[in-house]
Amino acid sequence: MSRDSNYDHHISIFSPNGRLYQVEYAFKAAASASGLTSVACRGSDTCAMVTQKKVPERLIDPSSVSNVYTIIPSIGCLMTGHSPDCKALVSRMRYEANDFQYKYGYPIPVGSLAQRIADIAQVNTQKASFRPLACTAMLVSVDDEKGPSLYKVDPAGHFLPFKATASGAKEQEATNYFEKKVGDLSGYNADETVRCAIMCLGSVLGSDFRGSEIEVCTVEKGGKFKKLSEEETERHLNDIAEMDA
Amino acid sequence: MDAALAHSFTISPESSRLKPGELSTGTTIMAVPFEGGVVLGADSRVSTGTYIANRTSDKIAQLSEKIFCCRSGSAADTQALTDYVRFYLQQWEVETGRDATVKVAAHLMRKICYQNKDNLSAGVIVGGWDEVDGGSVYNIPLGGTMIKMNCAIGGSGSTYIYGLTDALYKPNMTKAETVAMVKKSISHAMARDGSSGGIIRTCIVEKSGVEREYIPGNQLPYGP
Repeated sequence: MSRDSNYDHHISIFSPNGRLYQVEYAFKAAASASGLTSVACRGSDTCAMVTQKKVPERLIDPSSVSNVYTIIPSIGCLMTGHSPDCKALVSRMRYEANDFQYKYGYPIPVGSLAQRIADIAQVNTQKASFRPLACTAMLVSVDDEKGPSLYKVDPAGHFLPFKATASGAKEQEATNYFEKKVGDLSGYNADETVRCAIMCLGSVLGSDFRGSEIEVCTVEKGGKFKKLSEEETERHLNDIAEMDA
Repeated sequence: MDAALAHSFTISPESSRLKPGELSTGTTIMAVPFEGGVVLGADSRVSTGTYIANRTSDKIAQLSEKIFCCRSGSAADTQALTDYVRFYLQQWEVETGRDATVKVAAHLMRKICYQNKDNLSAGVIVGGWDEVDGGSVYNIPLGGTMIKMNCAIGGSGSTYIYGLTDALYKPNMTKAETVAMVKKSISHAMARDGSSGGIIRTCIVEKSGVEREYIPGNQLPYGP
């Protein structure tokens, strides 16, 4: 009987009560693999994403530690989860985005990219020979037609547009924080959007940051996706400290 | 093939390899680096045999923000080439986090030209500005050789101005001198080559940015 052999725990087939255990384990792996939390939100004309930066060992070169990736100049992503899986997914996203642009002659809209990646992730939940990737991707861009856009793609192959979202260890607390702010978000300008994301992460982790402990990235209307330098991050942190004082 | 030979009035190897009816940028193209940048220039005539399909075409294609290429030979082949190089160059920029260098762009162009040499009829000149080498120009004629040059000319019209460019070129010219030299040389080529004509388009690339201009056909330095 399938109940005895527990195959449903080992590969992606349904259990008798209708669950896909491998997919659920993938979610747990993505959330707890790195222990980091990431948050993202969109304002009136900007999207901002913030994540913790933890260098796992003292001997590692800190400049090489990053979870922020550019897919094409107008689309950026923040990956949370098992780091080699994150890099594999980024490679695939870059391939899909560039292939679209080459075939159709214009940059891929972020929603289409999210859809494509979600479809690929779903295939892994139906194959016996492939495990799902233990990573959640948050994609941002300022779309020509839809304005600032934020999408989250998870190991199961869900993808949804969000006004604000979080993933990782403290995902639930961060989401609760954003739910209180969601009404104001659509009116925030570039600086306010960035600060809202930083303050969310700060309140959830219960600590103040230095510029070197977080990675902040933004994409503004007409602009390229970019990661803020330590100086720019410090400027925002100082502005936040002054606001509270 | 015979129909193309019968219609072509030039002795350029490019026009004899085109299929009958295929569009040729039988052309004059040129690129010259100067201190801090590069000047690219081209005529604007696109012909099918004796019919001028487009008399104001743009033969200077953009590969990345500060790298351009001048196209000669089959219009279709060079458009396909620039599409591929843009594709690979954008990926290179994203993966390395750097702005594209002229060397990499030229290398990509040459790789594709060489590997497909039997099926292509394209001569390009890649020129641009980057942080590493400043202004640089690479000539990639038929067959896929790549040569870094101080003064590169190409296309069917270039055969008439080898002597002129040898005489006009001096090392360390200023931007204005380089622009004047490019415009004068292309005008002379347009005056003698039936496959070159129309307007002269120039593109000046420097650290501060890109300037694109053109000279109308009735205001050329030398002509008609």
